[in-house]
Amino acid sequence: MVRFSTRSRARAFLTAVILGAVLASPVRAADMEVTINNFTFTPKELTVKAGATIVFRNRDDIPHSVVGTKGEFHSKALDTGDSFSFTFAKAGSYAYSCGLHPQMQGRIVVTP
Amino acid sequence: MNEGFLGTAAPRYADVVVLLEIGMGVALLIGAALARMRWLRLHAWCQSVIIVLNLVAIVLIMVPSFHVHVSPKIPLKIGMAYYALATAHGALGSVMEVAGLYILLCAGTNVLPRKFRVSEYKPWMRSLLVLWWLVLLLGLATYARWNVPDLFRR
Repeated sequence: MVRFSTRSRARAFLTAVILGAVLASPVRAADMEVTINNFTFTPKELTVKAGATIVFRNRDDIPHSVVGTKGEFHSKALDTGDSFSFTFAKAGSYAYSCGLHPQMQGRIVVTP
Repeated sequence: MNEGFLGTAAPRYADVVVLLEIGMGVALLIGAALARMRWLRLHAWCQSVIIVLNLVAIVLIMVPSFHVHVSPKIPLKIGMAYYALATAHGALGSVMEVAGLYILLCAGTNVLPRKFRVSEYKPWMRSLLVLWWLVLLLGLATYARWNVPDLFRR
């Protein structure tokens, strides 16, 4: 009969606890992403379900920001690589633009 | 909306300011030419109006914009071209405006006591004109870096 040392048992128990915690954690849906590059939001229009979180990520080499036209959300200036997340809880159409470059515009359509 | 009219990504106020600053730079050169032609009173009016107008543009537009977009990122991100250009423009521009106001007060008023006034205006004025154009070029570079797509890019 194979005998396990106390140390081995403790290690196995700890591994089981960690694995259990990881597997039991709720699976989070991948956030949708709007990319900012070359003075453009991509995609320009995005349709999501209410409650979805959108990540706006600046991949351009100058700062940009994300500002809801009706003031629903407002990011700080995002440098290259920075991101800003917002959860759209209510259905509706949300137009937004860059606070630094007003001709950069996009829209998030939130369905119930 | 607030979109510019020069065909760049800049907002309207930035387009207005850049045109205003170019106009002021050209007007200063005309003012210098007036001095060479000995039209000194006209020269004084021209340069004084520009110094004061520039002060208004700095206080109302440039300082608030710098405060929001640039100052929170320095000195941490001064290595990035768009912050470095804006900071150099802001720092040199501040020195230039203060020097301009000083010359204006020395040459055009009796506000400053005699011991604080310069006696030789010409070297000061010529140096200031060169500095003004240097700051203007830095300002144009800053405008281009922040607002013109595909410029200075690999």
